[in-house]
Amino acid sequence: MSDILEGRYFYPGAARAVPARASVPEKRTLHIADESGQALAQVQRRDVTVTARLARLTRRFDLADGARFETDDNDGADALLWQLGKLRRGRFTDGLEKAWPVVALALVVTVAAGVFFVAQVIPRMAEQIAQRIAPEVAHPMAEQTLMALDRAALYPTTLGAADQARATALFERTAAHAKGGIGGYRLVFRNGGRIGPNAFGLPDGTIVMTDQLWKAVKNPAEIEGVFAHEMSHVDHAHQLQEVIEAALVPAALAIFTGDVSQVGQMSAILPGLILSSSYSRGFEQQADDDGAATLRRMGEKPSHMADLLERLDAQVCGKKACGRSWIGDHPATALRAARLRQEDKGAIPDVVQDCLKGTFSLRCLGWK
Amino acid sequence: MSDLPAQPDGAPTVHKLEFHGRGAEYFRIWIVNVALSVITLGVYSAWAKVRTQRYFYGNTQLAGNSFEYHANPLRILLGRVIALALFLLYSLSVVIAPISFGIWILILAAALPWLANSSLRFTARNSSWRNVRFNFDATYFEAFIAYAVWSAAALAFFPLVPFTRRVHDYFYINHHRFGGRNFKTEFTASRVYGIYLLGFILIVGMLVVGLLAAFGLMVLITKLHAMASVSLPLGPNDFTFIAFGVFGLGSAFVTNFVTTMVTNVAISNATLEGGFRLQSKASALRVAWIVTTNVLLTLLTLGLFYPFARVRLARYRMAKYAVIASGDLEAFTSEALEGQSAIGEEIAGFFDFGFGL
Repeated sequence: MSDILEGRYFYPGAARAVPARASVPEKRTLHIADESGQALAQVQRRDVTVTARLARLTRRFDLADGARFETDDNDGADALLWQLGKLRRGRFTDGLEKAWPVVALALVVTVAAGVFFVAQVIPRMAEQIAQRIAPEVAHPMAEQTLMALDRAALYPTTLGAADQARATALFERTAAHAKGGIGGYRLVFRNGGRIGPNAFGLPDGTIVMTDQLWKAVKNPAEIEGVFAHEMSHVDHAHQLQEVIEAALVPAALAIFTGDVSQVGQMSAILPGLILSSSYSRGFEQQADDDGAATLRRMGEKPSHMADLLERLDAQVCGKKACGRSWIGDHPATALRAARLRQEDKGAIPDVVQDCLKGTFSLRCLGWK
Repeated sequence: MSDLPAQPDGAPTVHKLEFHGRGAEYFRIWIVNVALSVITLGVYSAWAKVRTQRYFYGNTQLAGNSFEYHANPLRILLGRVIALALFLLYSLSVVIAPISFGIWILILAAALPWLANSSLRFTARNSSWRNVRFNFDATYFEAFIAYAVWSAAALAFFPLVPFTRRVHDYFYINHHRFGGRNFKTEFTASRVYGIYLLGFILIVGMLVVGLLAAFGLMVLITKLHAMASVSLPLGPNDFTFIAFGVFGLGSAFVTNFVTTMVTNVAISNATLEGGFRLQSKASALRVAWIVTTNVLLTLLTLGLFYPFARVRLARYRMAKYAVIASGDLEAFTSEALEGQSAIGEEIAGFFDFGFGL
């Protein structure tokens, strides 16, 4: 039992190597000789430290006197270590890394963990953080957003005092049945310009309604549905949650891959993609559900909101309904409307049905 | 392996770096690393880090010898545990007493130069070539000037950014040592300003091209719809999505273009005591292209291209570095190594300060 391991030997402190052979002539002793068989070193097992096995990397035997022996023959090195009675460090991990079934299993574990993290952990963390910091940042954030919108797209309202008073009355009636109550929200009027009929809730409770939306309304319950929907966005601090999710994903990626520099390249691009992708769009469904619940408390039918959605859709997209997009933004209007009509009979417990019907997003894997 | 023909004095030898890593090989190491880190709730990540570093160092060769990474995973683990404990303490104290947030910020600001030094020192001291270790020897005050004072100045006054970049490069290179000998780089700030100007022109050019392309696309879609009533399945949100994607890739491109050019200047003007010059001749366009396509492919494959991307970049980048030796490469002796804890490195790594050249 004395295999010979080819390699090279470095004298203590020397940078230059000589060709050498290592063997284990007797128990617990490592013997190193040059090509002619002349002994270079003979050391006890405990005086040898060997680097862990990794891919095709050179194996290095450090001897207590500062000399070292190197070899590229990893199998030979492990065989020698076995004879020497030393721990073959890195052998097990290297075996895992070389076995394709293990690699396939690791892939499954990684993907499953990644999906769980993205679909469950990050949204929950974002929700927790958003609700904790909401009051401090809500007002400045809302003011900034409204100022930016005013500069870029919105114009002063053209609605008369009578229209404004009527809208405000409906708004107050809705607020009384929503989570924040009267005084929890504030209605602001703007001419939507190119944005057209729309409404959006800002984190501090400000809800902006465009004149075009008001003009599209045929039944008061329709606009009450929209108000209730936007109030839900405000209650859950959805806007803040989106921003936090977008920031958490690159951070999670850095922790997962253990590498910051390459992830840094992606942190320039990921937040924007996340904000504009379907990832955060599960919020729409949540707002629809909450809005429907508020309408029912008011004694109105959620299906009124479905009517308005379909009317707006037809107005914006022409005669044909807007198709689903390639990348997937809002759940298609038809599906949202169908769901709202179902809500007339009572709350729909979870998103599973819709996921089965085809509005599949990452949130389907959660239970929101 | 290390037998090189001896060079007569005065005839410099160019020793190029080579990278021998393979994408498929590193993929398997990476995926096992990630899976084991997940299963062990992060404990394995310290070992994963050492294996990754060893793989990249060990596959990088200069004059026939590999670089080596020696860090002890247990020390890295300890660093991570301490960093996590501090983070939990921070979260807890901020929930209990929000005022403590300001105190933490002060502590972090005061600790930052120490963290930077400690992290650079840990990496340097655990890196070696031909058994000779690197070292990093900046003082707290020097790190404070470079990272706190100059970074704040650049934030406050934008035109100082290129100058600050040079301050950081000087700090990074001129405090590194190899076998007790100093690295030293020196170049004029005007070269950095020139590079940043080029980057600025690139950004403006890309914005113009991007806007024209977006406009053209809009016109095309409208025309298609009007003439053949074909409508592409693209909603308004999709345009935002595409715009964000294109903008992100564009900024990655320009950032890497500029960084590569500055690194070329910084490295190519660097010397190592004892008659060595360093060289970096990477094509900025090529690096920017590699990184941009890497980011794109990594996103499209939901991260699975990541290990291939790293190997691809290292293979190109390393091959463009060289050491020009007029002296004897083998005349180095290792500087005595003092015990150095991994704590600084890991606190920095955990909170992501993104150092590196």
